[in-house]
Amino acid sequence: MTDEAAAPEAPQADSKREAFALLIVVAGWIVPGLGHALLKMWGRALACFLTVGLLVFFGAGMRGNVFTSNANDAFETLGYLADLGAGTFYFVARALETNGPDVSRADGDYGTRFLAAAGVLNLLAALHAYEAARGRKA
Amino acid sequence: MSAAIGFSLSHLQAMLLFALVISIAFGFLSRRQPVERVKYIVWSLFLFLLIGVGIGWAMYPFSR
Repeated sequence: MTDEAAAPEAPQADSKREAFALLIVVAGWIVPGLGHALLKMWGRALACFLTVGLLVFFGAGMRGNVFTSNANDAFETLGYLADLGAGTFYFVARALETNGPDVSRADGDYGTRFLAAAGVLNLLAALHAYEAARGRKA
Repeated sequence: MSAAIGFSLSHLQAMLLFALVISIAFGFLSRRQPVERVKYIVWSLFLFLLIGVGIGWAMYPFSR
């Protein structure tokens, strides 16, 4: 009887936890490290913020290609999606790179990879925070 | 904001920077204890560099 009485509360708790986890993943995507910070995982939050920030800073400094939504082919679309993974840092990269990309040199090509890696890394970190919020791993 | 930053890195410097930053991120995300993190970061960095330099040498005969 006790189990039956307690049963309706469990799905509600699960849905609350799921909603919180979704909030965490969105926060982590928008601001790198914020998802972990909300979970009080300070070391990971700082590491995510700094590593994604460094990649964006160097990527933009090396004049890598910051893709926009005006993609001409599938690769540019993929690049745009990867770049968007950095959340607000995508706009930081665009603001830092007022002279535009220069992929005629190896630096610019590496910069493009740095920016894409920053986005993908941030998505990985946000998903990690999501899993931690759901209590699956930390 | 103006583009006040500008870097010119060699191939090796770019690879070192990328490998170091990614290794640190992986170390912090996948391990909890500080000692375990440091071990993971060092091992990951070593493998990044080993494989990067290895692939570089493997491509060398076809580079000209």
